[in-house]
Amino acid sequence: MIEIKDLTKKFGDFTAVDHLSMTINTGEFFGLLGPNGAGKTTTISMMSTVLLPSEGEILIDGKKLDRKASVEKRKLSVITQEYSMRQDMTMDEVMEYQGRLYFLPRKVIKQKTEELLDFAGLLEFRKRTVRHLSGGMKRKLMICRALMIEPEILLLDEPTAGMDALSRRQMWNLLRQVNVQNMTIVLTTHYIEEAQALCDRVALVNRGKLQKLDTPDNLIEELGAFAVDETGKEGLKSSYFKNRDEAIAYLSQAGQDATFRMTTLEDVFVDVAGQTLEKK
Amino acid sequence: MGIVTVLWEKWVEFRRDFFKITAAALITPVMYLIIFGLGIQTTSHGEPYLHFLVPGVVAMSTMTGSFSAIAQNMSVQRLYEKALDQVMVSPTPLWQFILGQVIGGSLRGMYSGCMILLLTLPISTDLTFNWLSFVIMFLNGLVFSTIALVLSFLAKSYTDAPRYTSYIIMPMSFLCNTFFSTDQMPVGFRQVISFLPLSQSCDMIRKIANGESSGYIGFIILAAYLAIFGFISVMFIYKKKNL
Repeated sequence: MIEIKDLTKKFGDFTAVDHLSMTINTGEFFGLLGPNGAGKTTTISMMSTVLLPSEGEILIDGKKLDRKASVEKRKLSVITQEYSMRQDMTMDEVMEYQGRLYFLPRKVIKQKTEELLDFAGLLEFRKRTVRHLSGGMKRKLMICRALMIEPEILLLDEPTAGMDALSRRQMWNLLRQVNVQNMTIVLTTHYIEEAQALCDRVALVNRGKLQKLDTPDNLIEELGAFAVDETGKEGLKSSYFKNRDEAIAYLSQAGQDATFRMTTLEDVFVDVAGQTLEKK
Repeated sequence: MGIVTVLWEKWVEFRRDFFKITAAALITPVMYLIIFGLGIQTTSHGEPYLHFLVPGVVAMSTMTGSFSAIAQNMSVQRLYEKALDQVMVSPTPLWQFILGQVIGGSLRGMYSGCMILLLTLPISTDLTFNWLSFVIMFLNGLVFSTIALVLSFLAKSYTDAPRYTSYIIMPMSFLCNTFFSTDQMPVGFRQVISFLPLSQSCDMIRKIANGESSGYIGFIILAAYLAIFGFISVMFIYKKKNL
């Protein structure tokens, strides 16, 4: 279990994460959603100890996570938004480096490297340096590297950024598979449909603050499961309704270009982000 | 164990860039030896200038070899490749990572120094290099590796590494007892320069080369630098909030 207590990160006068508190259960697929600059990557960076909090703390199974906490760090693996790898190492060397950093025996490193690179379709490129890989191959290699150590907690910061639709779906399937093995997954993403498809619960953050935290279904239910879109002079306007009859009644009074649809998590996201923007 | 991992990483880098590393280690010192030692043939303290120059160039090579191995590499890993994140999140104790970097950097400095020694072998200088000379070269490499680590943790951009070389390494190369004795410097300035680590390393290696005792003051000064910069680099990696 991950407990985030009053977590705050300041860069000078700017507060990137503002007293964030939440609990992520063991085996949960947890989404951290928010617009650009919401503090998602900063939160992941603090969860991986790359950044240290200005205030607050993170507990893993009741133990404080810091840079000295080797036992807690052994449970963690992270896939960062950027390709955080030695560019001049081959795939084999990247995997061996990871295995060595986690004190895996040489035999296990070799075996896991073969298995994971084969699984990701990268085996034939194993002698190629990272510098000479495509973006998609680098992303897959980062996943292989993260899974090599069989972590209990996997932190994913925009793991499908820049991937085509097919690769993204393959990644979703892979993440579902590893989550089934009781691995806790914390995912930040811009793709709201990704969070809706994968996450048990999502936290909506904006300007470093937690806005909402619940299951995707509950968040949609809270906003209204039925939506009517109207295009007016001010652009697209969506109205949300708790029940279908209300939505249809509204639709019949609305203009000819109004459309009816089911509410998505993206609507919740836009609603929350919009409200915060108005408050600002 | 973590130290071995870092040394393995350094070995992978050395094996891959062997020719580039060797060429970079040799070009500048060899130019100095040719120009000042063989080209402008002169004497120093009644001896051929080459006798004065070789120990200085050996010490200087260990400094530049160690410093550049760490400063450049760590700045790029931390700020450009973000590869340091992989280490930070791993269970490898970070003090072991620092120690591995420092030893790895020093070994690279030793390699540069030893290449110079090999090159000067055919020139009959009657200079002595014994096990203690190598200990001093290693210690000098450790000191400059820790300095490089501290500076690379302070760097705001990976282009800062060449600047540090211009601000720190270049002046030390010329002033610290390498090409001329610090005795010839004005009082005050001389004392400051003679307390710098390269001055001490040059002085001790030169004394041994001339068959004299190296003394122990130089070891104490180098050990003090190592302790101070080693402590700062460990503090940075554990406590620096935005690494």
